[in-house]
Amino acid sequence: MMQSTPFTFRRIFLWICRIVLAAVFLYAGSAKLLGWGLHLHPSIASTKLSLFYFALQVDSYQLLPPWAVQFVAHTLPLAEVAIGLLLLIGWLLPVWTTLVTLLIAGFFASVVRAYLLHLDINCGCFAKPEPLTGLTVLRDGILLLIAVLMTVFAFQESRRPHPWSASTPGQPT
Amino acid sequence: MNRRRILVALLGVGLIVIAVLLFPSLDKPLETPTQQAEQTQLAPEPGPVETVSTTPAPPAALPVIPPVIAVVKAAPTRPQGTVSVDGVNDIDPAKAFGSKSAPVVMEIYSDFQCPACKTLFTSTTQKIMDNYVNSGKVYLIHRDFPLPMHAYSRVAASYSRAAAHIGKCDEVEQALFRNQEKWEMTGDVVGTVAAALSPAEMKKVQALVDAKTFEPLIEKDKQLGQMVPVNQTPYSVLHTKSGQTFPVVGFVSYEVLKSFLDQLVAQK
Repeated sequence: MMQSTPFTFRRIFLWICRIVLAAVFLYAGSAKLLGWGLHLHPSIASTKLSLFYFALQVDSYQLLPPWAVQFVAHTLPLAEVAIGLLLLIGWLLPVWTTLVTLLIAGFFASVVRAYLLHLDINCGCFAKPEPLTGLTVLRDGILLLIAVLMTVFAFQESRRPHPWSASTPGQPT
Repeated sequence: MNRRRILVALLGVGLIVIAVLLFPSLDKPLETPTQQAEQTQLAPEPGPVETVSTTPAPPAALPVIPPVIAVVKAAPTRPQGTVSVDGVNDIDPAKAFGSKSAPVVMEIYSDFQCPACKTLFTSTTQKIMDNYVNSGKVYLIHRDFPLPMHAYSRVAASYSRAAAHIGKCDEVEQALFRNQEKWEMTGDVVGTVAAALSPAEMKKVQALVDAKTFEPLIEKDKQLGQMVPVNQTPYSVLHTKSGQTFPVVGFVSYEVLKSFLDQLVAQK
């Protein structure tokens, strides 16, 4: 017998946030890894090329030294895919939602800085040429807001387990 | 972790993959700016070459540009004196460097009065020239893209273009970029260029600028840039032999660009 309904506003909102952010992260990471925005044929060589091209976009923010640019460019897309999957799976949700929030906060800070400095660069968000405009700042701001709310709700949910996940007395977990 | 969660995760990934595969823009190949330019050009007029030339003939006493003009006269809608390399058209040979058979063609749209262009020129382009252009790995094209917000960049572009046509491109570009802060305050482009040339060379350059000989070439570069679209400078576009195009917006450090160029050169 269920102890409470699974369809509370908080749970539904948490699910929507997870799906939206997971989709964004999976798309962003895959696009960079596979060079979708550059119309490259899928291969290891094109993935390598795509990551080096992404490094140019990271470098254009003028935030990191060259070695750090290469490190970020070669690890971030994989991290984005992994985080997207973990958000969908929901395992250790408070941990991953916190990480997602920190990551998006970092993106947002970089984008705002570039916008305020009038750097007029490509966003590099989805691996294809996309100018960094006020709309990019707005989009990242909305994503950050969603991530913060998701994290708060994830922590609240972790204190009260989902009825479908909660073990009933006498049943093994 | 229960099975339901794994099922939802797999379903989510599947939906995203389907959405991405159906995303229409992914099937369209990128077009190079010059290809776009060709598509938007009017059909070439038939008839003798002289009827379509927009470039006034240089004064008789001046050194002439034309060895290349004879080669490209068959393409009547393009400005005189331009060449094409690997699908990149309207290249002014005086503002292009390296081997035409290089595996990578790099176009740089820049404005002489833009600070980021100066940084790119002094810290990145010079090293690219030394290590990639001179070794035949990159064919480098300097495109003029004077922005309307800069009062003297168009004048600087005219002097640089004229100097390039007497074989003094590097000297004048160096002088203009390195002294950018000075002449952008005073507007003394002429003095800056004159300091980099001999009096005889300056006389030739001045005559070419006065005759507006190369204005159509600058205008053509600008049109090509607008079709990219270039909305700020510097803006680089890298082309490979296989037809791939990679736009690079803004300043980029030599070390990072080097890694990318090595990848492009290696794939041939």
